[in-house]
Amino acid sequence: MKRLTLIAAAVLALSGLAAAQTLVYGESGLPVNLDLPQDGNSLSVQYQVAEPLVLYKPGTTEIRPGLATSWEANDSATVWTFHLRQGVTFQDGTPFNAEAVKFNFDRWNHRDNPYAFPGTKDMAAWTYIFGAFYGESGYLLEKVDAVDDSTVRFTLTQPTGFFPTLLSSSYFGMQSPAAIKKAGAAYGTPSVGLVGTGPFKFQEWVEGDHVTLVRNDNYWGDKAGVERIVFKGIESAPTRLAQLEAGTLDIAVNLSPDDYKVVTGNQNLKQASSGPELSIGYVGFHQANKPFDDVRVRQAVAYAVDQQAIVDAFYGPLGSVATEFIPPGLMGRSDVKAYPYDPEKAKQLLAEAGYPNGFDTKFWYMPVSRPYYPAPKDVAEAFVGYLADVGINAQLNTEDWSIYLSDYDQGKFPMYMLGWNADYPDPNNFINTFFNASESVNGFGWSDANGQKVVSLLSQAAQASDQSTRELDYELASTIIHDQIPALPMVYPRSLNATRTNIDGFLPNAMGTTVSLATVTKK
Amino acid sequence: MFAYVARRVLGLIPVLFGVSLLVFTIPRVIGGDPARVMVGERGSQATYERLREELGLNKPLFFNLKGFDDRGLEGLFDSQYFDFALGAIKGDLGQSLFTLTGVRQGLVARFPATFELTIVAMILAIGLGIPTGILAALRRGTAVDTAVMFIALAGVSFPVFWLAIIMIYLFTVNLGWLPSLGRLDPTMIFHSRTGFYVLDALLQGNWPVLKDALRHLVLPGIALGTIPLAIIVRMTRSSMLEVLGQDYIRTARAKGVQWGSVVNKHALRNAMLPVITVVGLSFGQLLSGAILTETVFAWPGIGRYIYDAIGQRDYPIIQGGVLFVATMFVLVNLFVDLSYAVIDPRIQYA
Repeated sequence: MKRLTLIAAAVLALSGLAAAQTLVYGESGLPVNLDLPQDGNSLSVQYQVAEPLVLYKPGTTEIRPGLATSWEANDSATVWTFHLRQGVTFQDGTPFNAEAVKFNFDRWNHRDNPYAFPGTKDMAAWTYIFGAFYGESGYLLEKVDAVDDSTVRFTLTQPTGFFPTLLSSSYFGMQSPAAIKKAGAAYGTPSVGLVGTGPFKFQEWVEGDHVTLVRNDNYWGDKAGVERIVFKGIESAPTRLAQLEAGTLDIAVNLSPDDYKVVTGNQNLKQASSGPELSIGYVGFHQANKPFDDVRVRQAVAYAVDQQAIVDAFYGPLGSVATEFIPPGLMGRSDVKAYPYDPEKAKQLLAEAGYPNGFDTKFWYMPVSRPYYPAPKDVAEAFVGYLADVGINAQLNTEDWSIYLSDYDQGKFPMYMLGWNADYPDPNNFINTFFNASESVNGFGWSDANGQKVVSLLSQAAQASDQSTRELDYELASTIIHDQIPALPMVYPRSLNATRTNIDGFLPNAMGTTVSLATVTKK
Repeated sequence: MFAYVARRVLGLIPVLFGVSLLVFTIPRVIGGDPARVMVGERGSQATYERLREELGLNKPLFFNLKGFDDRGLEGLFDSQYFDFALGAIKGDLGQSLFTLTGVRQGLVARFPATFELTIVAMILAIGLGIPTGILAALRRGTAVDTAVMFIALAGVSFPVFWLAIIMIYLFTVNLGWLPSLGRLDPTMIFHSRTGFYVLDALLQGNWPVLKDALRHLVLPGIALGTIPLAIIVRMTRSSMLEVLGQDYIRTARAKGVQWGSVVNKHALRNAMLPVITVVGLSFGQLLSGAILTETVFAWPGIGRYIYDAIGQRDYPIIQGGVLFVATMFVLVNLFVDLSYAVIDPRIQYA
């Protein structure tokens, strides 16, 4: 019994000590898997442990050296050489070197690599950024060579001037080859966790409850400001806020825009935000559904809806009206103006198109809330309300999210809501995501000459090695999209994140909250 | 008695077979698929197709006729249903398509949380419900009766999540009396061997953790307990009223037995049978996990596990989870049936 009491006392002392230096971080759920993740809740944990070669300056999306200290390309930007930081080891003692980098990229790029664990795992995120896996149509990464211990060379299938930016994406954290080989397909699951070079080490993951990381005291850079981070998953945004107000959480991310006043009005809380974010919510038209194949009808919709009023009502200070598919903060914007609210003009365009009395159609809204549409149904109701004013009778519909994601792509929805958050800070990640060769056709049924023109401009831009050519291509494409309006950009949202006032150094950037928490301190 | 139990346990087999068919079929009939969720907003068709192949979603649902032609009987059962059912018989529930963690391991990790919460909710519901129900029956038609019935009605009518959020704001945010996030303070370091925090803390003599774990059980316990509480109050009241109107109660009174003794010995025991049925049903239900309560309080239990899996169409978790819950439910019911014999000697199982 005496021993038990001693243990209890020790635990008490420990927990008292830990409380001061433990950061409690609330997000909408626990990680899914810490290996090959693609969802925000997993990435924000993985990013603390496994760092990409290229990092961002805190609070910005400006890239800076990380595990790679410098890099250069050949003239055609098809071969990129990266010089690695020396003397760095993974948290399990495995040396970080060119072989380790090659191991990581080969395992992501090659579906048949034994350490890709084909059949159990899939890095869908790879295709978002590198187009396709090695050997499949549209793949980008030809090969990775370890030139010497601290030099690694990437050979690409086409010129890519923004290649270092791709490597900054949070998907590509460097992980210990030894740890992956040892754990096999269980790598990244609660019983194993992950091993990287980052400022924090994985400690434990209690299924369904929390994930704990502890400070890596051998980190090559500035040591983390807190000793321990506990990640909690709380699905509902109002409850996340309540727990932050109660002081149970130190940081709560992706709160509801409705609670902006609560956050700013509470003297124990402060807002943590980066300013404009690389995110967009839009309404797509699918031209397989008449009469949306008529550009006048699509324009009529744009004139009919008071976008400013919708943004004011549902985003408040946390959003602005979107004007084009490249959000502010990226190059290549054409600076077109949003279609003004002009119902008369809308009616006139409808009459010209042969619908003086409007028509019946369907409007599909998302069944889930996403940062770009925190309250999809409310926005949808307002939207169709404006359409009714000009005679367009749009019936509201939704369906299960997993079905929604497959149906929008097949022309089932005449009008639908969707959006996007950045994977890496480049226009290619936005405009080309929506209007590349397959999405133009699948997502919007847009295959006329204008659509084709945009597709070719975008692919030209992606391959151009100099910035000014890229900028011109994007501007031109953006202008065509604005006139032809295959989809209506609705809103550039900002997320609402908050911390207790005793927390400093939490610096979300324009990509969101997947940022290093090494800078965070707790008083 | 033994024969009866054995028969009932054998009876589990057809029940679970039926459940396995339903839980396999329904998620697939309602459409949507995990591969689509996995590839996200922008996955390419190629990625999607590859995922379907890898996840085994291209296999036939029940009978693999092509496999039969190629490989005979073994090939015939190379299908999604038999992969699941044959695995389940061996105690292998497969692994989550998303997290790659074993479903059995996932259930084992979450069941203690659900169990602890259920126990607290039921203690609350029974401890408050039965005395209040008796009181209302004895004071039938008075203001006490009306008040009790009104509160009971309110208990079933208030949405649980609403009550939960009100309690969080009142007791956690404003008054700061009780915690409402998970099972333990996030800054507390505790390694539970069995997953039953209260039990482990007690065995280890870890009083700070015990106290904290108990405090964390209060608000979710109340939120979860309201519904069975309301039902138990109503059932106790009506059952008591019925029994109190019986001839033997009048006889007992006529023989001069004290009123208190009549209520305790003659009425209560007889009135308990239907109440126990309700208690058993509620207990079984709560053990299947309480989605709303678990979600609002970030409680790492079974309900949320299955609920999240349904949203993503994580078939192995849905299948294994529901099968597990159904087994629990049947076993609790068996236990309730057996307890009848203890309470009412007229009932015998042979």
